[in-house]
Amino acid sequence: MDMFLYMDKDTFVHNLDPRTKIFVMFGTFTIALLFNSLPVLLALAALVLFYGYSGKVLANLKRIRVILFMIALMSILIWSIVGGGETKLLGPITLEGFIYGLTVAVKFNVMIIAGMIFLSSTTIEGISLGLVKLKIPYRGAFAFSTAIRLVPMIVGTSYTITQAQRSRGLDLDSGSIFEKIKKYVPLIIPTFVSVIRGTNVFSMALESKGFGYDSERTNYLQLSYDKRDYIFMIITFILVAVSIYVKLTFDF
Amino acid sequence: MIEKKSRAVEIKDLKFKYKDQEKESALNNINLNIDRGQFVVIMGPSGAGKSTLANCLNGLIPHFKRGEFSGKVIVNEKDTSDNKVSIMAKEIGLVFQDFEAQLFSTNLELEIAFGPENFKFPREKIKERIKKVLKTVKLEGLENRQPSTLSGGQKQRLAIGSVLSFEPDIICMDEPTTDLDPLGKLGIFNIAEELHEQSDLTLIIIEHETEEALNGDRLLIMDEGEILRDGKPEDVLKEVDFIDEIGIMSLQIPKYFSRISNLSQDELPLRPEEGLQTFNELNLEINEEKYNQILEKEKQRSDSYGEKLIEVKNLHHTYSDGTEALKGIDLDIRDGEFLAVLGHNGSGKTTLVKHFNALLEPTEGSVKISGKETVDSSIFEIGKKIAYAFQNPDHQIFADTVYEEVAFSPKIRGVSEEEIDLRVKEALESVDMLGYEEEDPFSLTKGERQRIAVASILSARPKVIILDEPTTGLDYSEQKQMMDLIKKLNEQGHTIVMITHTMWVVSEYAHRVAVINEGKLSMYGGIRDVFKREEELMKSYLKTPHIVSMSNKMGKTFLSVEEMISCTEGGR
Repeated sequence: MDMFLYMDKDTFVHNLDPRTKIFVMFGTFTIALLFNSLPVLLALAALVLFYGYSGKVLANLKRIRVILFMIALMSILIWSIVGGGETKLLGPITLEGFIYGLTVAVKFNVMIIAGMIFLSSTTIEGISLGLVKLKIPYRGAFAFSTAIRLVPMIVGTSYTITQAQRSRGLDLDSGSIFEKIKKYVPLIIPTFVSVIRGTNVFSMALESKGFGYDSERTNYLQLSYDKRDYIFMIITFILVAVSIYVKLTFDF
Repeated sequence: MIEKKSRAVEIKDLKFKYKDQEKESALNNINLNIDRGQFVVIMGPSGAGKSTLANCLNGLIPHFKRGEFSGKVIVNEKDTSDNKVSIMAKEIGLVFQDFEAQLFSTNLELEIAFGPENFKFPREKIKERIKKVLKTVKLEGLENRQPSTLSGGQKQRLAIGSVLSFEPDIICMDEPTTDLDPLGKLGIFNIAEELHEQSDLTLIIIEHETEEALNGDRLLIMDEGEILRDGKPEDVLKEVDFIDEIGIMSLQIPKYFSRISNLSQDELPLRPEEGLQTFNELNLEINEEKYNQILEKEKQRSDSYGEKLIEVKNLHHTYSDGTEALKGIDLDIRDGEFLAVLGHNGSGKTTLVKHFNALLEPTEGSVKISGKETVDSSIFEIGKKIAYAFQNPDHQIFADTVYEEVAFSPKIRGVSEEEIDLRVKEALESVDMLGYEEEDPFSLTKGERQRIAVASILSARPKVIILDEPTTGLDYSEQKQMMDLIKKLNEQGHTIVMITHTMWVVSEYAHRVAVINEGKLSMYGGIRDVFKREEELMKSYLKTPHIVSMSNKMGKTFLSVEEMISCTEGGR
């Protein structure tokens, strides 16, 4: 099973400089956090989805659909009830609360999707090199990219472990919430132990391949901005600038 | 270029004791010189200090792993005490057993580039190295693949490539083939040989397989932190009794002849061909009557099997990504059988056995357990009859004590306290681990953890026990102990299904063999019949043990040295 988030495709989104993609991602975060207006956020969501669609990486969203759905559900449920407002719909649920819940849901999901598009279209080496070029020390950039690398390793291990424990009779489907939590102990502990063992070998292998030989190193990958990068940077910059201006002037 | 001294490694009075080690040291007074261009094989039982020695060579000890260190390790005239690991790494490349954990890049090209990048090779040179290295480790054309999509053997070859790329003079591999299937192993051995022939590279390989040690220039045998033997593999491996005693598998041919003849140690043949020659020279004979008795006994055994426990009919399995893993398998497993499932990785053997306890369901065809389709019952229900021990015991051990671990399965099935007590005792007794109840399972050795994992499935009192590579990563005496245990379980009435790559284990223990190749059953039958067809087995890269090969050349098939000795006459 393929556990890596990165989807190896040849699209212009993949070919953008990682720095550009980082900039686009943070641009999206800024706009999303700036506004609490549903239409603006929906427009932003449409833009982000289109961006992901042209990078052919939206298929990866299937993997996190549960998370996206849960965020939406929880947000809408909670805000509908506690949000308050004039228009009563049913019991304590108000229309204003519902809309606010929906807005918050879109806001967070857009940010998650933007992050996901970035990770799906950028290689780990690209990310770390991008960070290095943005003046983050190599060790720090490498640590960050290693964290991303660990996720698929943990998922893979926990998959095997789940099968092993189910074969021993572990039944995860029945029982109350508290019983269920207890049932995860036989899954979590072996996962933890395996990951720690794995990372130990990993760090020895790193040292044995000369990691930290010198503060400078050659970069086999080469990053360079081209016309498309500038176009994307400019578009993002304008969108963010306009958003801030609108926010400050009209207090949307 | 500066002329380099002929000595690659120089170790003087090396002693090391890990920080949390209580009594003995991991290494005791090691003195060792290795000349440039030598191919050195190191063997020894678990805990002999082999990996510790390897880690000393590039300075992981004492810089990365702490403890009491004394003595000197000088590699290419660089003292490991004065240079950090990343500097030593340029002189000596280290490859680890666990290939999953040492690969981390998005594609092969970048994986190989990582080392040279650190050592500041110019970009053009890196490009050149990638091309050259891919050719050496036979992974050309895969530059853009993700390492995670490779097979085990390819991954380990990539791991070797990622070290070769920065051109160290010395390469040290710590059990590079332990986790690989026969095909993967072969790939690594071929590369090692080619590297040795082509360049003045110094090669140090820690290995478990005695038969492969014959390829080296020099063999070191270690035990309890000391080097006990140091010499030509041909000479060292003739010391059959010493090798046996220390817990390494001895070569079968010299062992056989040392038992049935008075040949001096020097005269002992090593390989099957030489063995056949010696056999004829000594005028030895096989007693037909005794041989027939063995065959007769085997027939009786197969007649005594009970009802069909697992029935597999026209089984197909296609994974959701479209991979067709099984393409029509028919197979019956009867009560009391001991079946070995062979085949290289990706052949579909794990997919097959996962159908036996309903971890997977057929996409076509059927699997019946005691007459009931697996589709109609749950893993929980089937788990009472069929237990599955996964390959890595660390994937299931979680409890604080051995008792808790073994009690897990019956407890979850609602068995009463007294009954649990009884079952834990019984299971621990079966695996020879009574008295360990209060131990922390994580503090045990790999072999012991493996046995706890088996005990923890035994406590469910299953009819059938499925074992996925139960001997991988164990040394010879641990393997033997594990297999004797499985044999005992089989004799007590458990049906055994075992996936394995270890051919001597199959030869000496299994009753029946199923060879899976590309999702199909390519060979299936009694062990002796299958092992007779040596050439057919080779097509699946399965090499019969030396004693089997030698006896096949005589027109008989003997499965173990003991069996052949019992039928040998004359000479003496």
